[in-house]
Amino acid sequence: MFKLVLRNLLGHPIRSAITAVSVGVALFLVCILTSIITTLQSGLAAASSTRLVVMSSISLFQDIPLSYQERIASVDGIASVVKWQWFGGYYKSQENFFGQFAVDPERMFEVYPEVKVDEATKQKFLTQRNACIVGWQLAAEFPEWQETGKIPLTGALFPHPSGGAWDFELAGIYRSEAANFDNRTMFFRWDLFEETLKGNGDSPGVGVYVMSLDPGADVERIRAEVETMFENGPATVRCDTESEFTRQFLSMLGDIPMFLGWIGAGVLVAILLGAINAMLMAGREQTHDIGILKALGFTDGAAFGVLIAQSLVLCLAGGAFGVGLAALLEEGIALAIGSAFPGFFIETTTYIGAGVASLLVGLAAGAIPAWNALRVNCVEALRAKGA
Amino acid sequence: MSESMIRVRGLTKRYERGGETLTVLDNLNLEMEEGRFYALMGPSGSGKTTLLNLIGGLDTADSGELVVAGEDVAQLSGADLAAWRAANVGFVFQGFNLIPVLTARENVELPLKLTPLSGAQRRQQAETALKLVGLGDRMDHRPRQLSGGQEQRVAIARAIATDPKLILADEPTGDLDRKSAEQVLDLLGRLNREFKKTILMVTHDPHAAERAQSIVHLDKGQLGRIEHNQPAAAR
Ligand SMILES: Nc1ncnc2c1ncn2[C@@H]1O[C@H](COP(=O)(O)OP(=O)(O)OP(=O)(O)O)[C@@H](O)[C@H]1O
Ligand SMILES: [Mg+2]
Repeated sequence: MFKLVLRNLLGHPIRSAITAVSVGVALFLVCILTSIITTLQSGLAAASSTRLVVMSSISLFQDIPLSYQERIASVDGIASVVKWQWFGGYYKSQENFFGQFAVDPERMFEVYPEVKVDEATKQKFLTQRNACIVGWQLAAEFPEWQETGKIPLTGALFPHPSGGAWDFELAGIYRSEAANFDNRTMFFRWDLFEETLKGNGDSPGVGVYVMSLDPGADVERIRAEVETMFENGPATVRCDTESEFTRQFLSMLGDIPMFLGWIGAGVLVAILLGAINAMLMAGREQTHDIGILKALGFTDGAAFGVLIAQSLVLCLAGGAFGVGLAALLEEGIALAIGSAFPGFFIETTTYIGAGVASLLVGLAAGAIPAWNALRVNCVEALRAKGA
Repeated sequence: MSESMIRVRGLTKRYERGGETLTVLDNLNLEMEEGRFYALMGPSGSGKTTLLNLIGGLDTADSGELVVAGEDVAQLSGADLAAWRAANVGFVFQGFNLIPVLTARENVELPLKLTPLSGAQRRQQAETALKLVGLGDRMDHRPRQLSGGQEQRVAIARAIATDPKLILADEPTGDLDRKSAEQVLDLLGRLNREFKKTILMVTHDPHAAERAQSIVHLDKGQLGRIEHNQPAAAR
């Protein structure tokens, strides 16, 4: 019987291919859209609720004074404070978008233990003033950095006093295993940043301070204490946990995740309708064959099976194609959309979900023709015109 | 005196059509012996196909008794009727009714899938049946690659593949030219004589009916006369 199922599918190669491929492309899209959502969510889930972020109460893009670091560090229960400033430069072309931050090198590693570097890299970053570290994904995008060891960046927000590029030396590669910390950013040393800007007569402000806490510290008390400490200026601040900070940052994306979800659902429904249409056509063409099978003594259930199996084979083949395509292109997509959705990856449950979805599409698309085949009277089916 | 293969008592079949009831078979009585070759004749619309479908268990009657090959077919339905059909009846239709995407051999093998035979046995039996109808060299052809006469012989091979006692043929030569028709009739005659199949063949062609041992006439759902041909005509 399986031979009959396959022959019927191969009897209309173009229709079968179109149906299977469209199911595949739809499931591929659904995998990618779902993964964008899960990637955002995993960043949120991994964000620490015991790490605190201090930013201007006006907006994330408003600097806060350098002098705050000492005072924040003096609060009881804070283990370490690292300052971040968004450099906003570019490598060669503005299109090469990635984040660059000036940070306190030693404290960076204290506050973010999930950021792993080898010992040589760490030593170089801690001792050499123009050293920098980059995430492994970013390093993969610009292999020339590792060959030459140099990363010249044009300072769009902070021009170099010489009028030329900022010349950084690559100390090495960092690797973060946590979803909240992406692998597509560059960090360089605050002291170099501050010293260099003196050449312009400037002194930099701080974007955010990030603090790690002593074990068992009272998060709420510390938050309140930091916020009241700067109540009377010169710049008022808000102090949130990292997870709250991430949540607010993501909320700037607004309803995009939900919107993506709707697109995915819409694509699935459209493809389901296409598959139903194809299977209805197949069912009509095979009504006569169903009559023959029943006359030969095959049961109504067997008639049902012949049609539902065709639908399942088509949709599962399409599903396998879509899932395979997603798996194959996962890394490429991660690189392509890394700047917007850092840490993009497809979870196993997404693959399983796509497999289940193709199974359900197969069942739903085959249900009507299979039911018709089950119900049709043998004599009437024999009277139907053959294919 | 041979055993009865088909016994029909008070068989009635009606169709509802646009609120009107059409009585196609009206309280029909009929007896057919095992091992004989019957031709069923009658004007168009007289209910020949309807009767054949009832005897073969493709359709169910409204009332009456219908015993075929020792089974009260009127009492069977659904999967039981399907299983009975598979085991006891071989059908040959006017339009051949082969499955176009399957080869001749696969078409003949199809009813054997309902038996406990192994794949190799099925294949062998299908080949034997195809050789019997003279198509040993056309086994891997699809129906579309065969002539009408060849298609009908494949259908006959399929009808005998499971070795049923009864073969029901509805105008098997209706779509065939003279020569192909003769081949098909020769084949049916052989199946009757050499393999002791009971054959009931609907036909409009008096020449074809000559091949049968008995000719049953049906008119407006009623049984007419029954002729018995000379044994010489059956050869
Ligand atoms: N499914 C059906 N619904 C309604 N009426 C039907 C149906 N099947 C057959 N009939 C009617 O029953 C009558 C007998 O039909 P049947 O096919 O048995 O005739 P027949 O003797 O085989 O004719 P022919 O020689 O043309 O094949 C016809 O009047 C036909 O219109
Ligand atoms: Mg008829």
